Amino acid sequence: YSCKNYLDKKPTGVLASSVLANKAGVEGILIGAYSMLDGVYQGQAVDAWETSVDNWSFGGIASDDAYKGSNPTDQPYAAEIMTHTTSVVNEYVVNKWKNLYNGIQRANDVLREIPQVTDGSIDPTYKAQLIGEARFLRGVYELELSKIWRNVPYVDETVTYDAGNFNVGNPGPIWDKIEADFTAAVAVLPTTQSQIGRANKYAAEAFLAKAYMFDHKYDQAKTALADVITNGVTSSGVKYALEPYANNFNPATKNGPESVFAVQMSVLDNANGYNGNSGDALNYPSGGPATCCGFYQPSFSFVNSFQVDPVRGLPLLDTYNTNNFKSDQGVLATDATWLPDSTTPVDSRLDWSVGRRGIPYLDWGIHPGAAWSRDQPDAGPYSPIKNVYYKAQQGTTSDTYNGWAANQANSNNYNMIRFADVLLWAAECEIESTTGSVAQAVTYVNMVRSRAADPTGWVKGRLTGYTGGDVTKPIVDNTLPAANYKVGLYTAADFTSKDQSRKIIWFERKLELGMEGHRFFDLQRYDGVFGGPGGTGYMKTALTAYIAHDSKIAGFANPTMQGNTFTSNKNEIYPIPQSEIDVEHGPLKQNPNY
Amino acid sequence: CILSSLAVTAQTKITGHIVGSDDKQPVVGAAIRIKGTTIGTVTDVNGNFTLSATSGQTLVITYVGYATTEVNVTGAAAYPITLQVNNKSLNEVIVTGYTSQRKKDISGAVAVVNVSDAKKLPTGSSEQLLQGQASGVTVLTAGAPGAGSNVFVRGVSSFGNSAPLYVIDGVQTNSMSDLNPNDIESISVLKDAGTAAIYGVSGGNGVILITTKRGKSGKTTISYDGFYGTQVPPGGNVWHTLTPQGMAQLASAAGDNGNIGPNKIYTSSLGIPTYGWNGTKGQGAGDNVNLGDYHFDANNPANDFLIQKFNQQGTDWFHEIFKSAPIQSHNITASGGTDKNAYLFSLGYLDQQGTLIDTYLKRYQARINTTFALNDHIRVGETAYMFYKETPYGNPNGYGGYGNQAENNAISMSYRIMPQIPVYDIGGNFGGTYDGPGGEPLGNAANPVAQQYRTKDNFDKTWQIQGSAFAEADFLKHFTARTQFSGTYFNDWEYGFSSLNAYNDYENHGTSNGYFENSRYNSNYNWTNTIKYAQVIGKHNISAFAGYEQREFYGRFLSGVSTNLFSVDPDYANVSNGTLNNKAQSNAIQPTATRSLFAKVDYIYNDRYILSGTIRRDGYSAFGNEKWGNFPAGTAAWRISQEDFMKGISWINDLKLRGSYGVAGNNANINGSNAYSLFGSGFGSSYYAINGTVTSQGFNNSQIGNANTSWEKDKIANFGLDATLFNHLDMSVEYYKKSISGLLYPQPLPATVGGATAPFVNIGDIQNRGWDISATYHGVAGSDFTYSIGANITTYKNEVTSIPGDYFDASNSRVGYLIRNEVGHPIGSFFGYKVIGLNNSTAEANAAPTYAGAAAGSFKYADINGDGKIDANDRTFIGNPNPNFTYGVNLNAAYKGFDFTAVFYGSQGNDDYNFTKYYTDFYSSFTGGKSQAALYNSWGSPGVTNPTVTKASYSQTMGSTIGSSYYVENGSFLKMRVAQIGYTIPVNTTKKVGISKVRVYVQGTNLFTITKYDGLDPELQPSSYNGVSNATQSAAFGVDYGSYPTNQRQYILGVNVTF
Repeated sequence: YSCKNYLDKKPTGVLASSVLANKAGVEGILIGAYSMLDGVYQGQAVDAWETSVDNWSFGGIASDDAYKGSNPTDQPYAAEIMTHTTSVVNEYVVNKWKNLYNGIQRANDVLREIPQVTDGSIDPTYKAQLIGEARFLRGVYELELSKIWRNVPYVDETVTYDAGNFNVGNPGPIWDKIEADFTAAVAVLPTTQSQIGRANKYAAEAFLAKAYMFDHKYDQAKTALADVITNGVTSSGVKYALEPYANNFNPATKNGPESVFAVQMSVLDNANGYNGNSGDALNYPSGGPATCCGFYQPSFSFVNSFQVDPVRGLPLLDTYNTNNFKSDQGVLATDATWLPDSTTPVDSRLDWSVGRRGIPYLDWGIHPGAAWSRDQPDAGPYSPIKNVYYKAQQGTTSDTYNGWAANQANSNNYNMIRFADVLLWAAECEIESTTGSVAQAVTYVNMVRSRAADPTGWVKGRLTGYTGGDVTKPIVDNTLPAANYKVGLYTAADFTSKDQSRKIIWFERKLELGMEGHRFFDLQRYDGVFGGPGGTGYMKTALTAYIAHDSKIAGFANPTMQGNTFTSNKNEIYPIPQSEIDVEHGPLKQNPNY
Repeated sequence: CILSSLAVTAQTKITGHIVGSDDKQPVVGAAIRIKGTTIGTVTDVNGNFTLSATSGQTLVITYVGYATTEVNVTGAAAYPITLQVNNKSLNEVIVTGYTSQRKKDISGAVAVVNVSDAKKLPTGSSEQLLQGQASGVTVLTAGAPGAGSNVFVRGVSSFGNSAPLYVIDGVQTNSMSDLNPNDIESISVLKDAGTAAIYGVSGGNGVILITTKRGKSGKTTISYDGFYGTQVPPGGNVWHTLTPQGMAQLASAAGDNGNIGPNKIYTSSLGIPTYGWNGTKGQGAGDNVNLGDYHFDANNPANDFLIQKFNQQGTDWFHEIFKSAPIQSHNITASGGTDKNAYLFSLGYLDQQGTLIDTYLKRYQARINTTFALNDHIRVGETAYMFYKETPYGNPNGYGGYGNQAENNAISMSYRIMPQIPVYDIGGNFGGTYDGPGGEPLGNAANPVAQQYRTKDNFDKTWQIQGSAFAEADFLKHFTARTQFSGTYFNDWEYGFSSLNAYNDYENHGTSNGYFENSRYNSNYNWTNTIKYAQVIGKHNISAFAGYEQREFYGRFLSGVSTNLFSVDPDYANVSNGTLNNKAQSNAIQPTATRSLFAKVDYIYNDRYILSGTIRRDGYSAFGNEKWGNFPAGTAAWRISQEDFMKGISWINDLKLRGSYGVAGNNANINGSNAYSLFGSGFGSSYYAINGTVTSQGFNNSQIGNANTSWEKDKIANFGLDATLFNHLDMSVEYYKKSISGLLYPQPLPATVGGATAPFVNIGDIQNRGWDISATYHGVAGSDFTYSIGANITTYKNEVTSIPGDYFDASNSRVGYLIRNEVGHPIGSFFGYKVIGLNNSTAEANAAPTYAGAAAGSFKYADINGDGKIDANDRTFIGNPNPNFTYGVNLNAAYKGFDFTAVFYGSQGNDDYNFTKYYTDFYSSFTGGKSQAALYNSWGSPGVTNPTVTKASYSQTMGSTIGSSYYVENGSFLKMRVAQIGYTIPVNTTKKVGISKVRVYVQGTNLFTITKYDGLDPELQPSSYNGVSNATQSAAFGVDYGSYPTNQRQYILGVNVTF
């Protein structure tokens, strides 16, 4: 060594940004930006479930979809979210915030790297597309932030450590900036992509419409949605369409025509399950496909919502909670006399949305009830199912999460937007927009309902008894639907008023998109507190009724529900992490009433 | 004429050479006076003097620490004189930075460890020897065999690594754990800047200097030192666990009726059913199950039907995993030499089985130290130390292997698991939480016996060689040049199962097996060159040295994992035999380099006034723009006792006042690549299935660089008083103030910067102040009885003086962060809600100040900010893990052939956070084993008039899910570390068989611990949570997750034989 260089020790096993200043390097950084979509990354200091892309916590258990699950003190921060007592130090809040901004800065890294490329390896068209994809991803992350906290810092590629301008404030919503990012992406992205996971023009346009929906700009949303519905194709060029409902939740049929934009989940790829849907690692029955951990258990109210009137097969919009649908709450796992209700008509989507006793649980056999509920007195008898994989595909679609949770990460994609979502937004726009038509709204809603009404997509296999009274030997008639499914269509006559129309469409969203992490944010979007059409306090009214109902069910202690109250003008959004406010020393302000 | 000529011829020039009786080294600066005259001189640097004297006169030689000696002038020309020691300690030669000095000449703060006492503690982890043996040094030890300790010199001095620098035979290193205690010759601790700043950027946390034994001239001696003993774990119901029947009563009291009744884990009459079962034939509990249906299939857990017979008496889980265990050590040392050459060769073996089953340390050690004098001026030599050791593989998160202080390890499981669960089920396989009715009524704890059993084949095999070679030459009479090249090569290999099918666990039934292997090596070298100068000119004693040093560090790491091995036979298992998830990983450990220049000058005038100055200039590769720093220090001392006005005070043998001030640094808390912004790539962190099926490589910004980061700066002021009184009492009192600025810590950044690792920056300041006091009394009673009593006290008062945002939190847990480091408070302070009682009624609970979840029988918390409600703003400081003082007491006595030693160690005023109570004292926390307090001390329990625990409740948390003062206990303790009685067989008995010495001894270690602390052991190292280790954060300690106790009794029989 020469004397001069002796103290120069270059970093090992890592790259300087100059090495990445070429086409392959920029594409690699872009993939790194996509990889934050699932909400988690290996090496984060926290567990995957705190930051899951499907918002099972922020969007699910905080709404009337589901309870936290497990036992009362497991995951106390999740209990805070469920009971609307989220504290400013809640780890889910702290880490979701961090991971979303991590995604934003990874997208910004693409935008910062592109100007460094001087070797001519990126032609101008492709350069524009790369910029468009980066802005699309930034928009996706910003939209997620805005849903959860509303008043969030907007961080573009000029914000860096070296520039010292990273203490960004949050003076108010940033819908305009999000819409600008998506608009820019729509303008440059191709209609098809060489890789299915990359966003195309229509994915960007659907997100633009979603931003408009949250911004209550229904005219613009309607235009964008119309284009998506009429011309939209997936990144592989397949026309957007509804497909059998269960295909959306099956790793074997992912990226189908209904998948407008999906987070690509993969397993058995040396990532310890982190590239699978590890954000849902806790959300399995405590038995069957996994032996832990019994979180995200669907609520009684949610199950009740699927009850339909026996004549037309339409939802009981106002009376769904009058009678509790038959459950096995308090029934021993060994009780061979209990059979599920096979006469009361229910929407067919129930058994693709909820795991319950006596019904086939995918291909895992008949759901055994209490044996799969970690603590039934606390969290009820129901199991999540949409994020679960199939037994027959266990070897290829499931993985061990983080070295301990066997089969608790799988390759089930999470559809951030699926076509049914687009159709139901479009239906809303037909009601809210100045240029809307009720008839078109009915058409959109019935497109979604027709799919549910198709018996070929129903859960098959009716439990009729047990051989010799042995619960391990169920007698199943596979020619029959598992329950008495009935799904009817609406007519324009049902859309009697704007309010009634909204009630129908909103209820349809609850049924169609339940347990997918949207419900809380839909309620927030409807509420007048931020300009929604439901009037101020809509969300409080809905959730207060839910809490009142589900905390007083016979034989169900539901202790976690006991302290649950919703405060209007506060709990519609979440508190900004105190640690972020502290570390910024000023510009970042807490959300109202926290 | 004759007379006059006689007188002239008699006045001859004589020469003398004076050595000490103790070390046979020249005595420099001894005063020689002709009795009855004022004529005299002093010895030079080689112990020589020249004087004109007349035959018949008497020379009177005086030197502090030695008896005044008179020598008659006989007419001979040369006088070899040996001074007899009367106070050894003052002339003790103490190793200091790059040199050695007599104790009386030292003007800085140096603590000397009594090595012979320290070595009596049988341990596989040598830094434990320091505990209680040197003032100013605080040691937190670990109980697991071979586990490292936390050593703080003058308190916690950083938010990260506060460990001192270890210098072993001139080799700078970061640990002394694996040093063979038998090889140690001396240990001295440099505490202030005056002594430690010579180590510059590495000296700020204090420096521990160790020299190993070398051969002495004389015939070859061979000695054997060995002991064998047994270690006994603490007895009794250490976790205060309930009986199974108590568990049933508690469930009933808590209203957990869902678990009581037919087919439940508690019977309707609050008993325990006979059996629990689960698997293909259903789930349940009760007295009637067909035992013939039992089926176990290790490879296919889905086919299992497991039945366990509940233990009605209760399983004593702690003693199922803690058993008495043997410890033995054998050492053979051969040494000898001539006046030119010396050699020492030692072989050692240590085998310590842990009292926690399947924990152990086996270490084989060898050392060769040699010195050769090529002529009178040139010497060469070397030291070489090699060891090979085996320990279990310890994964800090406790999932595989044993990691201390983690809530998932076997010790934690021994209080988390229910007592009615048996160790083995009816088929001889492990019992656990799986075999029971639906849901998870038996909780989620693992069977700790199974945990240890499943990791018994997980090894960590390490070997290391550390050595040095030197050459030194004297020239120009006063100069010595020395060059030393030294290095360390470390290699370890870890392998074992990361998971085995935990069929007995409810949560993990069906987990597939996983296997891993890791290998790493790292290496470093030090190249040190010095030139020394020493000369006595009249009353001026001058010595100085200057040096150049460079150091480099480099290493690599390779690991592989796989899952689903066909067989879990350890002889079959390797990474290639896995069928899934086979992958390899490799890392380079960031290399670093240091280059240094340093110098020191010592000046002593008239044996009274001592001045010393050091300067070091260090360059370190991890710093970006400013790689170089200067570290100056100065000391001054006044030996008052040498002044004439003190001469008449006979009981003061020596009295020295001294002070020092200077700056040292610390660079241990920075990554070598800190200056660079980097992109990285990882399967789980940046890869993505962009094409929908298989993952593609992606990159992400992995690290933000900061080129402006610099070292931690430790400014240390020190005042000391050393005294030797009555010829028997040595004492030293010191006061210091250590201001540490620019603490290295990752910059807290807002999320808006992104997810890249934040750079280390110079973030905050802390200050330590304290007293170090030590005293030793050497006594003689009669002709056969000698004794000594030594005591030392260490105090430090720590305060955070500056930090951005005024605080940051550490030590995350299930009840939130337990520790807050805040300006104005000691580092590592416990932070949380303050419990002021229990709410006696619903009305009281609902009365302000209240909180969500308050109820009759819940905790009542102090409304610290007085705003009428209890929320996060009411958290306050509820305890301090830093002791007011720690102390050590050493007693030694010898009578004829018998000798006796006792060593005590204590810590006073420290608090412990007993986190185990989160699991055991509250019914509403995780389902599992509960304590007697949960039933018998809880609010509303029959007959309880002074409840301390919240009402037992299934459905309400009673405010117990937040960190509070409930968990904080007084952690003060006094431990009897060593009591040893030895007997040396009279020499004339043994000499006949060619043995020059035989000593046998018996010893008890940790015979008692006096403490009010409720847990296993109040001495607690940093913990980990959810796999995130706090172990490297010295700013987070004193939290108890069930620490491997360090105060277990040992009974030992030993022998020392010298041939």
